[in-house]
Amino acid sequence: MGALLILPLLRTIEWSLQNVSYGNPGTFVGIDNFVRALTDERFGRAVMFTVTLTVISTVILVALGYTVASATNRLGVSRPLVLGILLISYVLPNLVGAVAFSWLFDDSFGGLVNRVIQMLGGTPVLWFTDQLPNAAIIIANTVWFLLPFAVLVIMAGLQGVPAEIIEAGTIDGANAWQMHLHVIIPTIRSTLGFVALITIMDVLRTFDSLIPLSPQAATIGNESIMMYVYSIAFANGAQQLGLGSAVNVITIVIILVMLIPFIRTVFREAKALS
Amino acid sequence: MSSARTHTADPIAPAGAPARATRRRPAARYRLTSGILLAVLCIVMVVPFIWMALSVTKPTNIAFLNPPVIWGYQPTFDAFVNLWETTYFADYLVNTVAVAAIATIVALAIGLPAAYALSRFPSWISAWLLVLALVFRALPRFAVVLPMYDISRALGIYDTTFALAIALVAINQPFTIWLLRNFFAEVPRELDEAAMLDGCGRFAVLRRIMIPLMGPGILTAAIFVFLFAFQEYLTAVVLTDTSSKTVPVFIATQLGQNLPMLQQAGAASILLTIPVVVIAFVAQKYLVSGLSDGAVKG
Repeated sequence: MGALLILPLLRTIEWSLQNVSYGNPGTFVGIDNFVRALTDERFGRAVMFTVTLTVISTVILVALGYTVASATNRLGVSRPLVLGILLISYVLPNLVGAVAFSWLFDDSFGGLVNRVIQMLGGTPVLWFTDQLPNAAIIIANTVWFLLPFAVLVIMAGLQGVPAEIIEAGTIDGANAWQMHLHVIIPTIRSTLGFVALITIMDVLRTFDSLIPLSPQAATIGNESIMMYVYSIAFANGAQQLGLGSAVNVITIVIILVMLIPFIRTVFREAKALS
Repeated sequence: MSSARTHTADPIAPAGAPARATRRRPAARYRLTSGILLAVLCIVMVVPFIWMALSVTKPTNIAFLNPPVIWGYQPTFDAFVNLWETTYFADYLVNTVAVAAIATIVALAIGLPAAYALSRFPSWISAWLLVLALVFRALPRFAVVLPMYDISRALGIYDTTFALAIALVAINQPFTIWLLRNFFAEVPRELDEAAMLDGCGRFAVLRRIMIPLMGPGILTAAIFVFLFAFQEYLTAVVLTDTSSKTVPVFIATQLGQNLPMLQQAGAASILLTIPVVVIAFVAQKYLVSGLSDGAVKG
């Protein structure tokens, strides 16, 4: 089974050095594809958009995830109900969730959100053709479907906080704010780091949700890296396989570099155990 | 935790009714705030589905009016009937479930022995596994899926349910093995040793002792593999064409079409949402344990 991942990856690396199309042998072109990718303005925009989306979504998800997790953790009988409702957007295919999400904003579907804005005296927003409003609904959708993951993992972390630490904090006279900031958050730091890591990795490869949420992604500058690869190397018979593969290789390198601190922690912990 | 927070009696302050009252008030306010927060959040989480359910049960001629018609229409299930009669939705649904079922069975058949073996090796191996699981999770999917498209064309298995299922098993396998390994690691090694003293081979230990003990863990892993396959859009859009198309791919192709077809996409989305809501409540225990064990323990 491992070969089923390794072989395609090797093929991607091979393609990234070739001028190649599907079903035909390629010709070696050295680093031409990498040069083209790195000088392509559209790729640059896609990287900018994807990184911005990732940073903003991750910050919101960790902060909101922590808030919701500590609130949910205190619930009694209503906890399964709240968790069940939260889990729906996580279990549903992203694409389907994003379709439902986009209908709230789309004026051709009644545009609920714009109606509310108008009722409150504002002017309707062009959610799909203006870059910033469009980016806002993409961020909102990303938070919407990843929040359950963040909440559940952080809740598991909160349940591991020893009761003695909380009691000690109480005796020292910490109020609720101080308790969260100086007692609980430092204790579950590694859990929060893990949530951030997974969120970063998931948002960097955003693809599905942009199809309904940003039909004009490339024109308005809200194209993700994965969308860019898809449109140059696959969609509508596109055949720039060499360029697409070079972008994939660049992305893999970026991800590996980002993972290095985490990988080091994992190995240090494993060594400490054995 | 909650009990710790309610014991706010301060040993230094003189015990008395006024002191207690002032201490209780912030706690009550805190509770109220978090209750309101959660209630608002729950509403926000389900509003898209409610809006969509309303849109697909309106007659087509008023479904997409702006301003929206909210009262005084006769709800109808025409969009669902339409979906069933004029598209191959039933086939796509069968494909989606078949892909998820095959992926689950194959992933467990390979993952169980692999995870068991890994759980009995020293911990640095599991550290590597964790890193691999994360790296493969983070991989840009197209780096694997585009070559898979090329290879499956060359092998003549492009656009088959089987090829899509196997591709998904491969992509999700590091996660599956890691999750299962964590469950296996909780079973004490003394059990294996006792069974082997009684003359069991490694496979017999796995089959007779481990698998029965790990029922909930296996179910958790199975649910996750099934869901990952069921949710997949990117891999399915590349590896399928007409005969093994799945529901998410169908929904995406309906977008950007005319109004009745959009309403069909909405109806298809609602039909997928219903079983998902059931899963979120019925299998909640397993989803929660998969997320917390798969994520937190290393």
